[in-house]
Amino acid sequence: MFNWSVLKQLSRLSICAAAKAQVNTRLISTNTTLQFKMTEPLCAEPLKKKKKMDPAIIKAREDRRRKKLEKQIRRLQKNARQLKSIDEMEVPLHILDEMGKRKRPPVKLSSEVMEARALLQKEWTQYKREEYMNSVAQIDRIMAAQRRALDKLYEESEELYDEAIMPDLSLIPYSVRGPVATPPIKDYASPDGEFIDVSKKWDN
Amino acid sequence: MFLKTVLQELRHSQRILIRGLSTKPSWDIITGVCVERLPVVTPPLNAMQKKYKEMLYTIEVENSLKSDHELRHDNDKIKAELLKNESADIDLDVVSKITAQDFEDAAAEEFANFKFADLVTEADKTGNKASIERCLQRHLVLVTSLKLGKDTKTILPQGKWQEGETLRQTAERILSEHCGSDLKVQFLSNAPCGFYKYKYPSEIEGKIGAKVFFYYANYKSGGVSEKVKANWLTRTELIETLPDKYRKSVEEFLINEPY
Repeated sequence: MFNWSVLKQLSRLSICAAAKAQVNTRLISTNTTLQFKMTEPLCAEPLKKKKKMDPAIIKAREDRRRKKLEKQIRRLQKNARQLKSIDEMEVPLHILDEMGKRKRPPVKLSSEVMEARALLQKEWTQYKREEYMNSVAQIDRIMAAQRRALDKLYEESEELYDEAIMPDLSLIPYSVRGPVATPPIKDYASPDGEFIDVSKKWDN
Repeated sequence: MFLKTVLQELRHSQRILIRGLSTKPSWDIITGVCVERLPVVTPPLNAMQKKYKEMLYTIEVENSLKSDHELRHDNDKIKAELLKNESADIDLDVVSKITAQDFEDAAAEEFANFKFADLVTEADKTGNKASIERCLQRHLVLVTSLKLGKDTKTILPQGKWQEGETLRQTAERILSEHCGSDLKVQFLSNAPCGFYKYKYPSEIEGKIGAKVFFYYANYKSGGVSEKVKANWLTRTELIETLPDKYRKSVEEFLINEPY
């Protein structure tokens, strides 16, 4: 009786159900069947109901955030105008304290010395002027020599001239060292001078 | 402004005219390279510079404040006075410290013991002109002996321009051909800095002479390969060695030595 009903159920699933009265005996189980259905598995959590917020609160929150940012920006801008102090440019306090001690006795220069100095200054300006005029003349001379060379090159070949007047970009950046006060000593290992080690130690 | 453009136009048309008139290039194009070693050590001061420097120094001292060392020296003096008088009870520990004078003496001794490199180098003593380690306070120009036609001449390294090269490339090639690839120099421009023209005694391959375009370069490092007979010459030595007319063209683009 019972088995018959199960058979009936299963027979609905078979493709050529109604025609076959004879059912494969293997499908018939001897156990009791479970009389409940499983729910279909859901692959996602059901959506939560969206909380409705008061638009006024949202606006207030937004405002607060904006104000906070503005304040920060203002603070930064205010500080930008303040220049950072350079330690080396400030006179150390202990020197300011010892100012009285550090002043040299004022020197009184005789009129002859003053005169000699003024004269030397004048001589020096003349000397420098001459030097300047000389260097200007030199630069003129060198530039004229180059101009002449370029003109002659143009007469010879226009292509070469065009190549010659191209700027040499490999010269940028250009750096040059020397001359120095004393000749260099070969393989000289310069000793460290006096120094204060301020590097931090991080090991325990 | 207008006049200027007219002048430029004139100049341009003149150039074109010259180019138009000159039939086939009958001159060899040659590139010469002037490699100069700049002074390593500053040149000595002349009398005027010395006098002015001295004056500046005294003024500087007059206007200055006393340094830490001078203060220390003053303190030492006061303490020495006190010790002489034996008036006060002085801490012996403080007195037995190194005085500023001691420090100064030690420094002076160290300075006296330090040996500076000699301004007159080995090459100067032996008169070796091929070495670059000579006349440290002067500009030196590289010259090589070249075979021109029949006779050999001592001039700046030079060579013929080849089709397809720019003149700058020719200059670089010639320098490495003449002096080896060990010599490193810094060319200062793509443009030639000087010009020289000479005629061959007789036409060679239809060329009546050579036009030399000089390129200027500064010495950087390395040396001339030993196979080549090359010398580094000062300005005065240049005057003596270079052929007369050639020398004038070279001097045109070199700066004067200040001393």
